[in-house]
Amino acid sequence: MTEDTHDETLKQETLERILRESREIRGVSLWQDAWNRLKRNRTAMISLVCLLLLGLLAFLTPLLPLQSPIDKDLNNRRFLAPNLDTVVMGSRPGLKFEGGTLTGELEKFRASIAELEAERLSTEDPERRQELQQTIDARINVEHPFNQMWNELGPLSWWMCQLRVRLFGDYAIPSLFGTDKLGRDLLARVFWGARVSLIVGIVATLVSLIIGVSYGAIAGYFGGTVDSVMMRIVDMLYSIPFIFVVIFLVTFLGEDSVKARLDAMGIDQITIFYIVIGAIYWLTMSRVVRGQVLSLRTEQFIEAARTVGASPARIVFRHLVPNVLGVVIVYLTLTIPSVMLFEAFLSFLGLGVAPPDVSWGLLLNDGVEALSIIDVYWWVVVFPGGSLAATLFALNFLGDGIRDALDPRMKNRD
Amino acid sequence: MRDLLSYLFKRFIWMILTLLAVYTVSFVLMRAVPGNPFSGERNVPPAIERQLKARYNLDAPPIQQYFDYLGGIVTDFDLGWCMGLEDYSVNQVLAEGFPVSATLAIFALVFAIILGVTAGVISAVYRRSPADVALMAAAVLGIAIPNFVLASLAILLFVFTIQIFPAGGWGTLQQIALPAFCLGLPVAAYIARLSRAGMLETLSKDHVRTAFAKGLPKRTVILRHVLPGAMLPVVSYLGPAVARVLTGSLVLEKIFALPGLGSHFINAATQRDYTLAMGMVLTYTVLLFVMNTLVDISYAIIDPRVKLQ
Amino acid sequence: MPPEIRRGFVVFAALLTVFAVIWAARMDHIPPAEFALQNGTDPRTLDPHRATGQPESRIIFELFEGLLRMLPDGPPDPETGLQPLTPQPAMAESYEVSEDGKTYTFHLRDNIFWTDGSPVTANDFAWSWQRMLHPATACEYGYLISEVAYAEEYHNSIVNVGDHVEVELWDRPGETPSSDANIQHFPRGTMRYGTLREIVKPPRPELPEGSSDEAQESAELDWQEQWVYVVDVVPEQADGSIDWEAPASPQRFAASPAIAAADEAVERTHGVMVAFGKLGGAEAVDERTFVVRLENSVPYFLNLVAYYPLFAVNRQCIETYGAPLWTKAENIVSNGPYQLAFRRLRDRVRVEKNPLYYKADQVGMETIDFISLESQNTALNMYETGQIQWVTDLPTAVLQELKKRDDFHSAPKLSIYFYKLNTAVPPLDDVRVRQALSLALDRRQIVEEVTKAGQQPAYTVVPPGIAGYKSPQGMPENVQRAQELLAEAGFPGGRGFPKLSLMYNTSETHRPIAEVIQQQLQNNLNIKLELKNMEWGSFIETVQMEQYQMARYGWVGDYPDPNTFLDLWVTGNPQSNTNWSNPEYDRLIEAAAKELDPATRMDLLRQAESILVTELPIIPIYFYTSAEMAKQNIEGFAPSAQDLHPLQVLRYRSKPSPESKE
Repeated sequence: MTEDTHDETLKQETLERILRESREIRGVSLWQDAWNRLKRNRTAMISLVCLLLLGLLAFLTPLLPLQSPIDKDLNNRRFLAPNLDTVVMGSRPGLKFEGGTLTGELEKFRASIAELEAERLSTEDPERRQELQQTIDARINVEHPFNQMWNELGPLSWWMCQLRVRLFGDYAIPSLFGTDKLGRDLLARVFWGARVSLIVGIVATLVSLIIGVSYGAIAGYFGGTVDSVMMRIVDMLYSIPFIFVVIFLVTFLGEDSVKARLDAMGIDQITIFYIVIGAIYWLTMSRVVRGQVLSLRTEQFIEAARTVGASPARIVFRHLVPNVLGVVIVYLTLTIPSVMLFEAFLSFLGLGVAPPDVSWGLLLNDGVEALSIIDVYWWVVVFPGGSLAATLFALNFLGDGIRDALDPRMKNRD
Repeated sequence: MRDLLSYLFKRFIWMILTLLAVYTVSFVLMRAVPGNPFSGERNVPPAIERQLKARYNLDAPPIQQYFDYLGGIVTDFDLGWCMGLEDYSVNQVLAEGFPVSATLAIFALVFAIILGVTAGVISAVYRRSPADVALMAAAVLGIAIPNFVLASLAILLFVFTIQIFPAGGWGTLQQIALPAFCLGLPVAAYIARLSRAGMLETLSKDHVRTAFAKGLPKRTVILRHVLPGAMLPVVSYLGPAVARVLTGSLVLEKIFALPGLGSHFINAATQRDYTLAMGMVLTYTVLLFVMNTLVDISYAIIDPRVKLQ
Repeated sequence: MPPEIRRGFVVFAALLTVFAVIWAARMDHIPPAEFALQNGTDPRTLDPHRATGQPESRIIFELFEGLLRMLPDGPPDPETGLQPLTPQPAMAESYEVSEDGKTYTFHLRDNIFWTDGSPVTANDFAWSWQRMLHPATACEYGYLISEVAYAEEYHNSIVNVGDHVEVELWDRPGETPSSDANIQHFPRGTMRYGTLREIVKPPRPELPEGSSDEAQESAELDWQEQWVYVVDVVPEQADGSIDWEAPASPQRFAASPAIAAADEAVERTHGVMVAFGKLGGAEAVDERTFVVRLENSVPYFLNLVAYYPLFAVNRQCIETYGAPLWTKAENIVSNGPYQLAFRRLRDRVRVEKNPLYYKADQVGMETIDFISLESQNTALNMYETGQIQWVTDLPTAVLQELKKRDDFHSAPKLSIYFYKLNTAVPPLDDVRVRQALSLALDRRQIVEEVTKAGQQPAYTVVPPGIAGYKSPQGMPENVQRAQELLAEAGFPGGRGFPKLSLMYNTSETHRPIAEVIQQQLQNNLNIKLELKNMEWGSFIETVQMEQYQMARYGWVGDYPDPNTFLDLWVTGNPQSNTNWSNPEYDRLIEAAAKELDPATRMDLLRQAESILVTELPIIPIYFYTSAEMAKQNIEGFAPSAQDLHPLQVLRYRSKPSPESKE
């Protein structure tokens, strides 16, 4: 009897020890492991930092002391080469700003609002008060000097712009990148363009990623008839003239009734734009994924998962998809820049950013147009092109790094 | 041989089905898009607009148009008369434009394959050497610089600074050089990256190690044992790439004033030239299918493990 | 796969590549033409009756010739550099105009031939004009000569009981009584002539209220196809004339195959139309005399005669090959200073001197290439490297530099750039708002800093430079006044003003202009403008459906007369699309059309224009200027108001130096 209980306790202890140990080992997941390896890859880390910095700068653009991206000084500042001459915000005579400065005009505007405010506070008549309040709101909405310098700022950007004026006053960085054909500062436009292009690139690519990976993985996993039918559908979609699809969507969605209904659902043009790009780019993605999955699905770990009774959905998304991520990420790093350029082409059809907003694709298009033998305005091409190329470089090295880091065969190398 | 024939037959059936589906979807889409081939700044009187529509069978009910046009295509490959370029039939447009696009594509692809594979092999063999880094950086640059920027820069450089090529037009070999270069460079960059990755993958395979262990010279191992395996990703990339290059590039055709097929497609779409647009769509579909089939066959030839199915 | 096949495959692929390269390297080299020019987009057609655009017209003006032709008249204007062009005798040696200005008699030359060697006669012109007007030709310029007797009825296929009509039977070569019309050969079935006695119409179809204009038009036309015509048919005389009073036999005709098949007595026809060819509107009196009779005098009629849609085309050629095959280089027969050598799609149209042309010895260039070149930068590059000698469209980015050069030519054109306003949409229905928008624009800044080719700011609609006409005073820029007007309209300081959308078709020239206007309205009136670009097809459709607020447009004068700019805006004109209507304006335009005295007529038009520029259903922006470059060793090149360049007068000062060729 005692022998037995002793034995039992021993077994119990061993079991607990094993459990304890196994708990400790579980700490290193696939992602953790990959991250550790990525950290050792210096180029990838530099790229990652650069990209994060770019994202941060793009996000903080309204806060930076840049010139106005939309204010065109046609009379004096067309096609200025990069220079270090100081620029005062709001000094263009056409703006008719008080004292020729943004702060001056802001002061004046604030004073006039304050006057109205005082009047509102002094009146007793509630109706009159209400009326004055409305006037104040309308005036802030319509006549605020910011409207002349920036287009349609969101609440956050508006706040950042205000902070910027408080921090830097009328100071603006000189036109380090030169100016374009309508006299706008290229540095500011590259920054504001980055906001649009980065979001478009990332969101549209994510859409294509989600559709493409699920579709490709499902086709690859099930194989056989399912696979060939699904892939034939992709073949067909490849040939559908997307230009007609886009023109159709632009006009269909431009109709007032449709527009109103979509607005009610909170879908604006830019959302549709992401969906359109994603819907066009998922095709190649799904092919890539399907090819990989096809070769993976006979591997032992999938067999193992199947034996323990994992559902197909679990196998596909839990076991197969992480294993094809390496290829997918490399492909992604190539898709993001081409999406950024594709955006410019869609603008040609009327879908995408509309002036005065700007994107890198539009900047490049404009730049190439100004590239002629008579006068070489090199800066209008070099800076937007350089930004795009640099982003792609970083994405590319990061992509390679991630692929290597995710590749289990690379685990014990180096 | 038998499995090849049955494979080809199956592919052919699939192509017909795909063509039919593409035809249907395109037909519906084109009619759903606002505007018609005859809308212009000047409104024509209704009687005349009707005459114009009758000329191109656009006055028939859509279902009948669908089958009439399909019938013409099936029975004698007649894609009809262009509605925009009135003096030409779609077949004539394709016949005039395709050789131009094909010529350009051949030069671009040969250039891209030679350059891309060489660069890929060199950088894989001398991995982590300065040559590798430089070549791969160049490849990234080749992908990063958009076509139209590259073309404009190339013109400034080769036409005006070093005056060796004409500015544009079509007719002499000199006039092909620059556009072929600009068309081929991004493809070369992709091929370089793909073949480098493929090479690295194959270099780590057992049979290659065995070959090295046997004491075979490095050259022989690389050419005989590594290269074929390493080309698989390149081949599968080439299929769609060839189809894309063959149907031409809108931007390059515009910049170099080339009479290729590429611009027809966008022009046909914006002018609502239904017949020409349909001709272009179907041509592209056929090209894509043929190229993908060739890719699959090459796969089976290069890699003994792959079976045609 | 066995290894032999694998090895064989490599060899096969290599061989294939080599062959492909050899195939690709064969080039049919074309020697460069003596003179080459940038011709914009590829011409859609070479048929003078189907063409509409400038690229087409440049070629057609050289291939064909009319009774008259616009040719240089005197030296260029020293101030503007404009070369005056006037209609001068071409195929016609001389012409007479009757006192009331309603009858024109043209006397043709003796020594004029088609390129196939047959003589050009007055009958060719009678036939060509009829072909142009015939609805089946679908010529978009038919309205130009609507004052020719019966032309308008013929062009729009309007018939009334009592008219002298022609009936084309359904027996064109290759047609059976029940077949569908397919290939568009010009009418050449059997013709019957007679007086229309009666039209038997089925009940008019009722359409539900509120169905679209298009549906109504279409239903109307469907209904008309069901009509049965009763015609008193008279025989055609041997000389082609008709005695309308001759004893007649009534016959019944119908266009619908179903009706014709159902009733033995009804014959199927392509259509019953006014017998334009037999009624003397445009008549060949004899081989050498062509007479035109107008219903009202048209002061610019000679200009129209010199316009390419009224040029002669060869009947035999068209009837042999049918359209559009007759325009192929191997088929075409023409009568102009040049003949078609070959045409390469989207590349070039090559023409060469026509040896049979009556002035062939005075034609300067042996061969001319019309190069299809859309990209401005490419055209400039090719010009600079000597591949072309004339650029018609220059990149705006470098215009300022180019302007300083001696080979740069610029001159005002007879055309205007403007924004259409949809006056049915608030707040644009308020004239004060429209005026405020117009007053707040700084057009000078646009022409000087954006378009830069020396365009003239436009405050009126009719471009300057039309002889005998002076536009009224427009409203020049006045921001103060604009703000006041806006406040009066209920939007003080721009408050409460809805966001306006401005639409333009995708183009590198429209966007910068729209962007600058967007800024000007924001700066001056606090009005937010949303810019919306669309590709051409959707753009046109959206404007014509009147689903827009503001839209960019341009208008090129068809003939040098204010009317071409003003009659667009009368109530109900399908070109207007502005929903603007002003009875006084309509009355003035109509009165001007009937007025015989030129001075009074111009005065009426001026009054009409002054209504237009006060009410502003359109906001004029600027008057176009041509900006082009031509090599300096070319003699005879000068800009003209209608942007016409007769190429036959061009020649090299000395023989071109070899490096200026390709």
